[in-house]
Amino acid sequence: MKYTIGLKCKECKREYSINPIHVCEFCFGPLEVIYDYEKIKKSLTREKIEGRPKSMWRYRELLPLDGDPSVGTDVGFTPLIRSEGLARALGVKELYLKNDAVNHPTLSFKDRVVSVALSKAREFGFRIVACASTGNLANSVAALAAAGGFKSYIFVPYDLEQGKILGTLIYGTKLIGVKGSYDEVNRLCSEIAENYGWAFVNINIRPFYAEGSKTFGYEIAEQLGWKVPQHVIVPMAGGSLITKIWKGFKEFESIGLLDEVPTKIYGAQASGSNPIVAAFKAGVDWIKPQRPQTIAKSLAIGNPADGYYALKTIRDSGGYAEDVTDEEIIEGMKLLAQTEGIFTETAGGVTVGVTKKLIEQGIIPRDESILISITGNGLKTQEAIQDRVGRPLIIDARLSDFEKIGAPKIRERTTSLQAAL
Amino acid sequence: MEVHVRIPTPLKKLAGERDVIKAEGKTVGEVLQWLTETYPGLKERLRDEQGGVRRFINIYVNDEDIRFNQNLETPVKEGDQISIIPAIAGGSSPKRRVTLTFPPKLIKEPVIYNVGHRFKLITNIRSANVSENVGWVTLEIDGEEEEYLKALYYLNDIGVTVEPVERNIIE
Repeated sequence: MKYTIGLKCKECKREYSINPIHVCEFCFGPLEVIYDYEKIKKSLTREKIEGRPKSMWRYRELLPLDGDPSVGTDVGFTPLIRSEGLARALGVKELYLKNDAVNHPTLSFKDRVVSVALSKAREFGFRIVACASTGNLANSVAALAAAGGFKSYIFVPYDLEQGKILGTLIYGTKLIGVKGSYDEVNRLCSEIAENYGWAFVNINIRPFYAEGSKTFGYEIAEQLGWKVPQHVIVPMAGGSLITKIWKGFKEFESIGLLDEVPTKIYGAQASGSNPIVAAFKAGVDWIKPQRPQTIAKSLAIGNPADGYYALKTIRDSGGYAEDVTDEEIIEGMKLLAQTEGIFTETAGGVTVGVTKKLIEQGIIPRDESILISITGNGLKTQEAIQDRVGRPLIIDARLSDFEKIGAPKIRERTTSLQAAL
Repeated sequence: MEVHVRIPTPLKKLAGERDVIKAEGKTVGEVLQWLTETYPGLKERLRDEQGGVRRFINIYVNDEDIRFNQNLETPVKEGDQISIIPAIAGGSSPKRRVTLTFPPKLIKEPVIYNVGHRFKLITNIRSANVSENVGWVTLEIDGEEEEYLKALYYLNDIGVTVEPVERNIIE
């Protein structure tokens, strides 16, 4: 069953039929998928969703495929955790973490968008898929292309973290390191996309690809018992995820799966790559491109494609935008790991750092429900913290050597009965 | 005030199949007014219902985005280059790719060396054609905005014509 109607320009509202296109030929605005919400409303219920397998495809009516997904069929439905340790550390009452650091197969939220993009690419009949990436998308396209039987070409800035390079090459893709920033990689890919006829997931397949991010929002709502938090903090690179989480909440509201959406959405960036935050604070609705300089390479986009819409989401929802320094990013990564046992990548350090800052500034109240979006895994960005987490103590295999360390000797243990008291 | 307006490929049809149009005006707004009166088909493609420039159309005066200057009030002077560039979603910028055309008297001068030497810029020649009477070079220029602008003034002063290159020409 098909629930899509076509594509529509987000600016001038001209409509197009479903095709691998992403730009309005009249006004050059971005295209977005339109759905038959009346039909979805009649068909999709909370009970129906709850009865389906635990993957992002349990919301399939709201995703832009004609048939069944053929790639990444078990992606998503990652843990939503009620935080205790981090909540205490931040001094807040009700804190949640949505943890896509353990999304599968490649440990970031990008698996959501790529499974939609490649399933759609198959419907269009493409055999070669490609992307421009800061790393996480590269991992995901390479892995899911391998699983789905596509050939893939992947373009990244040549100076990416080693983990992201290895985590792409292992899948047997053609990886091309471009001497330049992500924005330059992206510009080059726009030119290649025009000439090669491939499915570039974040260029000509972008309208479909981007819809996958809505499932991050759907899952939050379902996992909280069909309600949404009052404050949601989201990292921003190109600015697409933040708009789609908001869109997901609003869609659920419009088809009756949520009663209300009182959520304020907050955008988080690194100070060395903060074009959206800068525009928010300046009170303007256009983005001044930057040359990023930050350890948060997955967020290092100086000319964000969805920057305008990210700003609009933040403003429409009544939220705020903030950035943190590289130092604060590392502190954020360590804080999350040491209070919650979650090792996130630099982007997660940005989100945790910004949340802390907004709470301290009194912008996010301490007694309302807050959710932090964790979108990627720390094992991929080890360089950023390798000198900041100490070293192992090296000893000979002798008890006397160990005793020199001065670890506490505990002679009595708490019994489970005592602990319960 | 005569200025040169570069028309992007998708809009050429509406501008008499021309890449560059000589237009009149003292500000960017006046130039656009002149342009859309002369080529009425361009009007709805460039301006929204409120008369502003469409959000995904970027306009540059000598490679500076007018939104970072005075927008439609940005003044223009004789010989300025105005580029109209669609911001294809995903970011596209005409910056830092220019064609230098040398008059005969400068053909034997080490102009590109001077640009790299006098200003903190890295130049990369992408294509070139130099003969006895005419010379042009397509360059990618990397460096800080301020240094880049100084270089543009320098080139202008010594008589080199500098034109922005549309992104699909070089590669």
